[in-house]
Amino acid sequence: MTTPEATQDGGLYATRQKIYPREIGGRFQRLRVIAVFVLLGIYYVLPWIRWEGRQAVLFDLPARKFHIFALTLWPQDFYFLTWLLVIAALSLFFFTALAGRLFCGYACPQTVWTETFLWMERLAEGSRSQQMKLAKAPWNGEKILRKGAKQFMWITFALWTGFTFVGYFTPITELAGKIASFSTGPWETFWVLFYGGATYVNAGFMREQVCKYMCPYARFQSAMFDRDTLIITYDERRGEPRGARKKGTDHKAKGLGDCVDCTLCVQVCPTGIDIRQGLQYECIACAACIDACDEVMDKVGYPRGLIRYDTQSGLEGKRKRVLRPRTLVYATLLAVLVAGFAVTLSGRNVVGIDVIRDRNALYRERPDGRIENVYNVKILNKDRAAHEFRIAASGLPGVEVDYLGPTVWVAPGAVQSVPVRIRVPRGELQGGADVILSLEAVDAPHLTASGKARFIAPTD
Amino acid sequence: MSLLDDQYTGTVRWPRLRQDVAIVTWPSFLVASVATMICFAFIDPMLVGNDDYPPPAFASRMSGYAIGFFFFWLISALSSLLTLYLARTARPEPPARQDPDEGTRSVQ
Repeated sequence: MTTPEATQDGGLYATRQKIYPREIGGRFQRLRVIAVFVLLGIYYVLPWIRWEGRQAVLFDLPARKFHIFALTLWPQDFYFLTWLLVIAALSLFFFTALAGRLFCGYACPQTVWTETFLWMERLAEGSRSQQMKLAKAPWNGEKILRKGAKQFMWITFALWTGFTFVGYFTPITELAGKIASFSTGPWETFWVLFYGGATYVNAGFMREQVCKYMCPYARFQSAMFDRDTLIITYDERRGEPRGARKKGTDHKAKGLGDCVDCTLCVQVCPTGIDIRQGLQYECIACAACIDACDEVMDKVGYPRGLIRYDTQSGLEGKRKRVLRPRTLVYATLLAVLVAGFAVTLSGRNVVGIDVIRDRNALYRERPDGRIENVYNVKILNKDRAAHEFRIAASGLPGVEVDYLGPTVWVAPGAVQSVPVRIRVPRGELQGGADVILSLEAVDAPHLTASGKARFIAPTD
Repeated sequence: MSLLDDQYTGTVRWPRLRQDVAIVTWPSFLVASVATMICFAFIDPMLVGNDDYPPPAFASRMSGYAIGFFFFWLISALSSLLTLYLARTARPEPPARQDPDEGTRSVQ
């Protein structure tokens, strides 16, 4: 019986134990490194890209506008975001049913940032055994230097991450200037530190414990799994009974399986599980055990794949099915949603109207015998070009509209308030009725919008 | 085999208190993020407050969003905390019962 290997250091709440995953190379680890570079590359570079004189991707919260390249979304377009979230969730279901926890192993921010923090740790403190030796060593000059270097890299990287995060919400070039001159606003400073701090704690200390204890997806993923889902699995029929053996012996004659019980698959596991006990919810599908086992199999001259990506049906020697009702339903739903999203987004109305009754008076009787109501009309021009708008009223007998001028000019991406007077001849109307105000761009007649408001007239 | 140069890692567990802090703060953080997004898609923080007597309740939009987020986080964390408390303090299920027809059934 071996004891769990861990060091004790003063944690926040109680003695905590640290896992030192053993570093490993191999084809799946190369894939993960590529994923880390691509995803973090996108994250750190995207806010610096410019588009038509502004930041290409900017969720401008102070102005309540989201810029995503050519697209500008307003609070009224919120349902697009909801739609997008539904698509994201469905994609997760689809890929989970197809290939298990691909997301966890390759794309989850928790995994990706943990991976980079592990690299920095290795850069400063060396390999797994060197790290464990250093942890046990007394505090001498070298230990201070190595631990200090690690902390310096971690903190710098975490702060840069926080800065980039805030850079998605406030123009990043301005933010950089403010930081350089120590003049950031209180909330900007706070969010840089908050997100940076969260990165530091999550990726530096909590790591895969987040997946084990805090991630809801880890727990409900099994609901999306079936016998044809690709999972990381140990071929028990081939591997058992496991056991050590001398090189060159005929293990089959001795009644042994292919597993040499080197425990490397356990040592490389960042969540500290033994994949040979079967599928466990702690497994984040990082495939480190596959790479480790393949390496051992190569060394001892057995075929690779004792631990591999396979389905339960595959393990039992049955046919693998990629197309099955579950994946077909997910794929169809996903295709419909994405197509609908694209169509709706491209045909989105970029003009809006908001009609608010003037609160000061119900109505006014003019000397010419007409009843007048005053409204505050807000014209939203979400287009990227300026437009001249004409306002028309309908729905009431003999209605006429007056808004000081033949047209209203609205700048691109702006809201223009216009006081609008609506008049109806006295006697045509008793009490109240709805009036419809419609908007049309003079230079682009397809840009229209209309709004309804209450018109109040005397009851006599 | 000389491949084994380090000892078996084994599985480490977080202490109970840390697990509790994590499973209260983290799900409530996720829920609060979604709630903030939905809430402020419909409500402009600068329009919150008494219409007739400006100024509005928040000094700026950014502080409105931030205070709103932390409010949602606090509320949902309270809910998580109560749920956790109820789940943790419930009387444990009775142990596995012997059923002559089906054999031993264990309660998960």
